[in-house]
Amino acid sequence: MTWKAKLGSQIPAELGKEIDIYETQIELRKLGKIDEKLFAETRLRRGAYGQRYDNAQRFDGFQTQQLKYPHARLTKGPDTAWDAPGMQRIKTPFGGVTPEQLEVLAEIAEEYADSILHITTRQDFQLHFVHIEDTPDIMRRLAAVGITTREACGNSVRNVTACPIAGVCRTEAFDVTPYAKALAYFLLGHPDTQDFGRKFKIAFSGCECEACGLVYMHDMGALAQVREGRRGFKLFVGGGLGAVPYQAKVFADFVPVEELFPVAQAMARVFARLGEKQNRARARIKFLIDKLGIAEFQRLVAEERKILPADSRWTSYLPEAAVFQEIPAKPGCQLTGQQPADFKAWLETNIYRQRQAGYAAVTIACPIGDITATQARQLADLARKFCNGNVRTTVEQNLVFRWVSEADLPELYRGLQAIGLHEYGAGTILDITACPGTDTCKLGIASSRGLARELRTRLASKFFTLDAAVKGLRIKMSGCFNSCGQHHIADIGFYGNSRTISNRKVPHFQVLLGGRWRNNAGSYGLAIGSVPAKNVPVVVERITERYVRDRQGNETFQDFIARIGKAESRRLIEELMTVPTYEQDPTFYSDWGDPRVFSMGDIGMGECAGEVVSALQFELAAAERLNFEAQLAHEAGDFAKADELAYGSMLQAARGLVHEQWLDVPTVPATVVTEFKTRFASLFQPALATYLLRRYENAAATPTRETAHRLIEEAQLFIEGAYTCGDKLRQQKTAVLKK
Amino acid sequence: MELYKFGVQFRISNSTAKTLQDFIPVFHGWIQRQALAGHLLVDVHDYSHVPNGPGVLLVAHEANLCIGEAERSLVYVRKQPAALAETLQAAHAVAKLLTDDHGVKFAANRFEVFSNDRLRAPNTAAGAAHWQPLIAQAAVGQVGQKANDPRERLTFVVTRTP
Repeated sequence: MTWKAKLGSQIPAELGKEIDIYETQIELRKLGKIDEKLFAETRLRRGAYGQRYDNAQRFDGFQTQQLKYPHARLTKGPDTAWDAPGMQRIKTPFGGVTPEQLEVLAEIAEEYADSILHITTRQDFQLHFVHIEDTPDIMRRLAAVGITTREACGNSVRNVTACPIAGVCRTEAFDVTPYAKALAYFLLGHPDTQDFGRKFKIAFSGCECEACGLVYMHDMGALAQVREGRRGFKLFVGGGLGAVPYQAKVFADFVPVEELFPVAQAMARVFARLGEKQNRARARIKFLIDKLGIAEFQRLVAEERKILPADSRWTSYLPEAAVFQEIPAKPGCQLTGQQPADFKAWLETNIYRQRQAGYAAVTIACPIGDITATQARQLADLARKFCNGNVRTTVEQNLVFRWVSEADLPELYRGLQAIGLHEYGAGTILDITACPGTDTCKLGIASSRGLARELRTRLASKFFTLDAAVKGLRIKMSGCFNSCGQHHIADIGFYGNSRTISNRKVPHFQVLLGGRWRNNAGSYGLAIGSVPAKNVPVVVERITERYVRDRQGNETFQDFIARIGKAESRRLIEELMTVPTYEQDPTFYSDWGDPRVFSMGDIGMGECAGEVVSALQFELAAAERLNFEAQLAHEAGDFAKADELAYGSMLQAARGLVHEQWLDVPTVPATVVTEFKTRFASLFQPALATYLLRRYENAAATPTRETAHRLIEEAQLFIEGAYTCGDKLRQQKTAVLKK
Repeated sequence: MELYKFGVQFRISNSTAKTLQDFIPVFHGWIQRQALAGHLLVDVHDYSHVPNGPGVLLVAHEANLCIGEAERSLVYVRKQPAALAETLQAAHAVAKLLTDDHGVKFAANRFEVFSNDRLRAPNTAAGAAHWQPLIAQAAVGQVGQKANDPRERLTFVVTRTP
């Protein structure tokens, strides 16, 4: 029995087919029939990511050890050992997750990872320490409950995020949920999103003044607007954090909902066509817009929009979206009666009163985004009972139960208490956001999670004595400058770096002050100096104490930092920037939660950017896979199937070439063959081209062992010819660009 | 020989002797000397912030092992399939190492064995009936099915007469 057989029809056919293909690609890679770079991008686009030490080397505190994995020479990407555990990212569009999905997530966390479900800063889930060979079954079990991992990583449209209280918010224009969901699935696997040089992140917000979906820091942000009774979006483009943060620019003040998908599709085409492909550090759309200017980008998108072939999916979801409404478990009733001990603090910080009377949205604070498999199952039970399964993840690495009757809050609190998830302080200084950092990330420099753990412990012990203004501050941290922990939009942000003191490395964190979480990530904090990791808790104390002492009236932290200025801010921490010698205090030379002597030696090549693999390379790899399947069919004695697959592989390769010049090329064989002949007569080796043309014109009535075998051989040569032709095309393009 | 993914849990009997954090350098030390035969030790992970979580985790290619926080215990979980006897032997070896080198004591006469593969060993009556005799044979003890949430893993309690 296999999961594939057991789950059978529970897996949607298309998803099942995709996963079968992926499993075949794993087999092909093991046989050395797929290039490691291509396989790396293939698995990344299925959410299977590398993890720290997967180059089979690890600094153990004294020396760098070679980790001797069983398949010593087999890789799943450049410098990435086949057997090294990796991470599986699981996309949950707009953070929506059902109790059934939580239960399956719990099962796979136990069976394939470390029993922990990690919620990310993009409303995804992540599993760590996963083996590549388990990933197809993970994907099948998820697919059976409606989850795909497709395009969770790689140069693709990543998880589409949205405000976790969309639909219950008191200040939103309208509920963005159905639009976020529909766009996520429209762009998923869309041919126009397969040829990016870098990832593309989309967010939806319902209102301007709250943090909401943080549209200013996204490649594309959609902010709900109603004009003259019509729904639409103010569209933003070109925002992003990373090493060089950009605020998004307004692309259009109002795009009616009918135009949202075609405009997004047109943007994708422009990005795929003109975005940087070689220099990955400048391949996000923010750099393209910076280069072109927003006006030129708008013009190009408008031109592209005009020539897009109409697609019924642009509007088919709209009638349903207009009336979308979640159903609560119970009627909404006011909070009355006896309340448990400690309930009040939780009520103050973790409860949002919905615009629907008698209902609350409850934030379940998950420490550094982690919950256990057991907790996930118990949360599923609580969600069924109290909120009819209306659960969302948040970009602050928490969970939100929506539509909880206020009268049920004490009982829900007791339920959460029983499973250790009743912590108060959601959205406060206690609720620290941290990326994985050196725990699992190949790019991590310092231990963001170790530091977050330490700060949480210290702040929790004195939370009730903190000034109200300090309680409301947000701390976010990343293990490096890449900003996965979103440190730029925190009141107090940190990112990991390193300094060398007397030939020894010391973990440090750069301090950023004054970022704005509200107003959709309205402004970014500025760096004031780097402090040793071990001094960060004191830095937080010093800054917050000064804020409490010198704050003028109700002055916000951002205003306070702006008023005292950068020089004075730096003076606050200057003394803490010095590092004692190793002899004076060796603890400074290790990171939080890691007793090893600190080293930069474990940093690997990041996979976040993925491998730049063109759409043509994917098409040709798919053609090779089809021809491999033809061989299997031939081996099994099914010569008709072998013949059909081999022919299909040539068509696939030919279509890939045509697609380089005509994005909307259909899959109809007659069109593919005609276009192939017309466009590539001079570039494609004639002898090899005839293999396709001959099979197209004269299919064998009854393929035999011999004819099918010959066609498989010819198909392989045709694919080789397509690779050569692709190289020539690329050279032509490069020459044109140089001119 | 059939290979399976099972796990073993031993309760720590002197749980106040060490804090969770005390195990972090212990496990790093094990990696430095690759102290567990038959295991490629890879990394240490601190989950002490997660209530009732895995506590401190030592990741090996073949298995995860952790000092769990719920009821302070050692949990050994196969990630690569192995014979039942091998799994039990490996879990006992880890416990012995912790006892000999670090003074951690375990309730040796009562431990749990659980499936880490819901496909081949589901938490159902049929699953229990199939696996109970096999576990009893491998664990050399009295075996009873643990009454748990059917969504959890099929778990057996093994008791041995001192």
